[in-house]
Amino acid sequence: MEKFKKKTPQSLVSRLVRSAVFWMIPLLALTAMTLTWFYRSQTYKLFDEPLENVITNLIAAAETGDGAPDQGILYLTREPLDPDYQRALSGRYWMIGQFEDSGVLMPLRASPSLSGETLQLLPNVKRALDAQPNEEIRTTAQGPDEEPLRVLVRPVILPNGEPVLMAAAADVRALQSDVRRFALIATSLMLLLIAAVIFAVFWQVRNGLQPLFTLRQKVADVREGKSDHVDGVFPSEIAPLANELNTLIGHNKDIVERARTHVSNLAHGLKTPLAVLLNEAETSKSGLSKIVARQAQSMQRQVDHHLQRARAAARGQVVGVSTSVEESIQPLVRTLSRIYRDKDIEFDLDLTTGLMFRGEKRDLDEMVGNLLDNACKWTSSKVMISSGLAENEEGQITIEVGDNGSGLSEDQYGEALKRGSRLDEATPGTGFGLPIVDDLARAYNGHLSLGKSKLGGLSVTIKLPGRI
Amino acid sequence: MRILVVEDDPDLSRQLSEALKDSGYAVDVADNGEDGHFMGDTEPYDAVVLDLGLPIIDGISVLQKWRADGKTFPVLILTARDQWSEKVSGFDAGADDYLTKPFHHEELLARIRAILRRAAGHTTDSIDIGALHVDNRAARCFVDGMPIKLTSHEFRLLSYMAMHRGRVISRTELVEHIYDQDFDRDSNTIEVFVGRLRRKIGTDRIETVRGLGYRLIDPDNVPNKK
Repeated sequence: MEKFKKKTPQSLVSRLVRSAVFWMIPLLALTAMTLTWFYRSQTYKLFDEPLENVITNLIAAAETGDGAPDQGILYLTREPLDPDYQRALSGRYWMIGQFEDSGVLMPLRASPSLSGETLQLLPNVKRALDAQPNEEIRTTAQGPDEEPLRVLVRPVILPNGEPVLMAAAADVRALQSDVRRFALIATSLMLLLIAAVIFAVFWQVRNGLQPLFTLRQKVADVREGKSDHVDGVFPSEIAPLANELNTLIGHNKDIVERARTHVSNLAHGLKTPLAVLLNEAETSKSGLSKIVARQAQSMQRQVDHHLQRARAAARGQVVGVSTSVEESIQPLVRTLSRIYRDKDIEFDLDLTTGLMFRGEKRDLDEMVGNLLDNACKWTSSKVMISSGLAENEEGQITIEVGDNGSGLSEDQYGEALKRGSRLDEATPGTGFGLPIVDDLARAYNGHLSLGKSKLGGLSVTIKLPGRI
Repeated sequence: MRILVVEDDPDLSRQLSEALKDSGYAVDVADNGEDGHFMGDTEPYDAVVLDLGLPIIDGISVLQKWRADGKTFPVLILTARDQWSEKVSGFDAGADDYLTKPFHHEELLARIRAILRRAAGHTTDSIDIGALHVDNRAARCFVDGMPIKLTSHEFRLLSYMAMHRGRVISRTELVEHIYDQDFDRDSNTIEVFVGRLRRKIGTDRIETVRGLGYRLIDPDNVPNKK
């Protein structure tokens, strides 16, 4: 039992749910990240399109030469039309400039929205351009209103061979919050999905394993003696298990029954010859007959002893058996009132209906029979027997037998349970009654206790496994 | 008193019938359930000692059959099976007593006497009819306290009549209850036995009812004496 417990510490349900979740969480996290990344790249692509257009327009409009001396060597045939470029600090800017040797971008032309400010490019832009002079660069910068900008920088060679940088920029805050919102929504949705999937997996596993739980309950029923086999319809995967269990239970019953039958056949087979020997020896007073009588008596004790042992060994081995207490007591009372009919004993029965003993009928018969027999021997006129659920103890029943005989004093209690002892030689019987009941009760993890009956004599109470 | 012993062990069967015969009973023996059942069914026994583990038909079934057929003779079960559940089924099948092997002869004889007197409605082993005292326990009889020496047949006759005192008992009934089945049954011999018994215990203690049979009476106190 202990070993099995150690080997399977986790439940099947948590095992299945955990293995499902183990794969699902990284997978869903990856999905959320991919979606966010894709959304971001698409959004930036759309964002960059007008910036590209501005630069293309600037390239088309850029002229050099003598056209307008006041405008220097670079002038634009037409400026981009978008009113945002005219309005000061609108968040959309363009600029054409050149790097000075110091690394500062010197503006040649700029959109009026810049209000005379310049776009402060990061130093790594120059480094990148030095390394790859013809590559377009996407970078960030701080705008004149200290807003974060996304900047597109393209190196262009003017018609007069002069290299300049053309840059277009736009406020990126709206875009950033868009992407953040998307990421947030995607992540929350994924978390929700994870929760839903865990719940679904849990439910499905529980539902799928329901027959197993049912089987467990049925096996417990058998163990507790509520049923003598595992019944019910099970799915094809575990139906063989249920069948095997039933076969095992039946097999166990057969083995115990066979062992018991063998032993009792042997013992009973010996008893008749022993009776013959003892009777024969009794009739003669010779030395031989004395020896025969003594040896036969010794053999008889051996047979009794081993018969009891074998019965005890087989006891409690059979699972799935329970016995109605009432159906055991009633016939016994009937039998005992016939055995003791000359004594004219009044039996007082106080039985709880539907009380079940978790064990075999013949064992309950043996216990109650011996208790009643004992009470009938000692009583002067009255014997009471009561049965009920044990107080404060789940799954236990008690059966009490009392009489109005002379009873026993407390220091005689221990002696009464000792095998082979008889407190009153005057009352016929082997005197084995109470120790046998004690042994039997113990075999069922039960308990026998002696006390004073309310009738005045001895009261014997046995506590046994059982239920209503 | 006539007793049937149904026991398959030949030695035990012989011991039982010897012990019973010594105590003054007429004994028939069967060694299997089928014969036992037939004998119990056809002969008027006063009591039966029945083993349970019998060949052909087991003891419980034999007993159940007898009871189903209305046989009321007392039955003592003598068996090696000593569990209470077995005792219950024995009594429920209609047994009057139950004795487990091994046993003492004295115990068996006491139980037989008990079921016999219970069947006849008496409470003690000895029966007093006026000055006549019949002690079934010791198989002896006394008149005015003086022991009377009787043969076993004479005692059986007296014991049976004492058990059923006050009732007229036919010759046939006496034949059936005091002889075992091997005995040469001639109802005339009953008259011889009754004659001898009368000589020993007093002629007026056994009344002859013409055409019906005999009756054991107390000559000093006869209620319907004309």
